[in-house]
Amino acid sequence: MSEFATGGCQCGAVRYRFALPFLEVSLCHCRMCQKATGGLFGAFAGGFRDDFEVTRGTLSLFRSSDSVERGFCSACGTPLTFARVGGKRISVTMGSLDHPEAFPPTEQAGWTGHLAFVGALAELPNIPPIEDVAPDLAATIRASNHQHPDHDTAEWPPRN
Amino acid sequence: MSDTHLTGGCQCGAVRYALDQQPVNVHVCHCRMCQKAVGGPFAVICPVLKPAFRVTRGSMSYFMSSDVGRRGFCSACGTPMTFDYPDGDDIGVLVGTLDEPDRAPPENQYGNESRVAWYSDLTAVPGDRPTYADNPEMLRRISSTNHQHPDHDTEHWPSGGGRS
Repeated sequence: MSEFATGGCQCGAVRYRFALPFLEVSLCHCRMCQKATGGLFGAFAGGFRDDFEVTRGTLSLFRSSDSVERGFCSACGTPLTFARVGGKRISVTMGSLDHPEAFPPTEQAGWTGHLAFVGALAELPNIPPIEDVAPDLAATIRASNHQHPDHDTAEWPPRN
Repeated sequence: MSDTHLTGGCQCGAVRYALDQQPVNVHVCHCRMCQKAVGGPFAVICPVLKPAFRVTRGSMSYFMSSDVGRRGFCSACGTPMTFDYPDGDDIGVLVGTLDEPDRAPPENQYGNESRVAWYSDLTAVPGDRPTYADNPEMLRRISSTNHQHPDHDTEHWPSGGGRS
C-alpha cells in the first residue's frame, strides 16, 4: 500500500497524486523555470511517471523546448508539472502540492544565475497577516474563496 | 509615445505587457492562494497603478480566485502573470514574467503565516552549478529548440510554437 502526496491546480479542475517518496525535491533558478512560474525560481518534487497519476481533469502541455513539456491547468493557469519528452520521470510544482511544507528542497540548480535579491529574501520586513491589517477584505476572500481545498474532493465545485 | 519602464510576458509569448511606471512596494507573498496560483513556495508581486499596465500582445485569461481577487495567466502556456482586485487601484505583475526581473527587487513580505519553513535557509540548500551542467547534450537540445519568448519585445512571434 503506497502513501501518496496529492495536489492540483488553484481552481481544482486538475488533481493529481504521486506515490511517495519523491526521488528529488529541488529548486531551479534557470530563466525558463522563472518565466514558467512567474517567480524567482522553479520548485519541483519529482519521481517516476509510473508513480504519478492525474486523478481529475486533464493537464494542458506547453513544450518550452522540443525536449521539455510543462503541464498546467488551462482553466486557471496554475503551473503543475515538468518532464522531459519521452522521459521516465516527471516533477510536480511544489506549490501545487496540498502540503508543500512537507517537502523541503534538498538541492538547487542554476544557483550561479540566481536573481541578486534571492539571498536577502529572509531579511525583508514582515507585514502582519491580512486578517489584522484588512479584516473585512480577509473575510470577503474567505467567504468566497474559489481555490480548491488542500485535499481531494469527491466533487468540485461543491453543489449547494 | 509611451513611458515604458518595464516589459514582460508569458513563456510562450502569446501575451506581452508593458508597465509605464516603476513598480511600488514589490513584495513576496507567502499566502496559500499565491503559492497555489504560481505552483511555488511564494509569489513575488510587482504592483503598478492600473493605467500604467498595458497588454501589448494577445489577451490575458483570468481566474477569480475569490469574488474579489483575480489572477491573470496565459491560457496557451499557463504562465501566471498578474494579480489584482478588480475594484482596486493597482495591479501586480509576477516578477518572473518581467523581461528584467532584477529591476524589481522585493521590499516587503506578506502572508507570513503560511511561509514555508525552509525559506530562511534558502541560500543553504546545496547546489551551485548551472542547470544541466552535468548534461551538456540536454542543455544543447533545449537551447537549440527553445520556444520561450526572448526577454524583450518582438515585432513578430509565432504563437503557440511550443504547444503540444
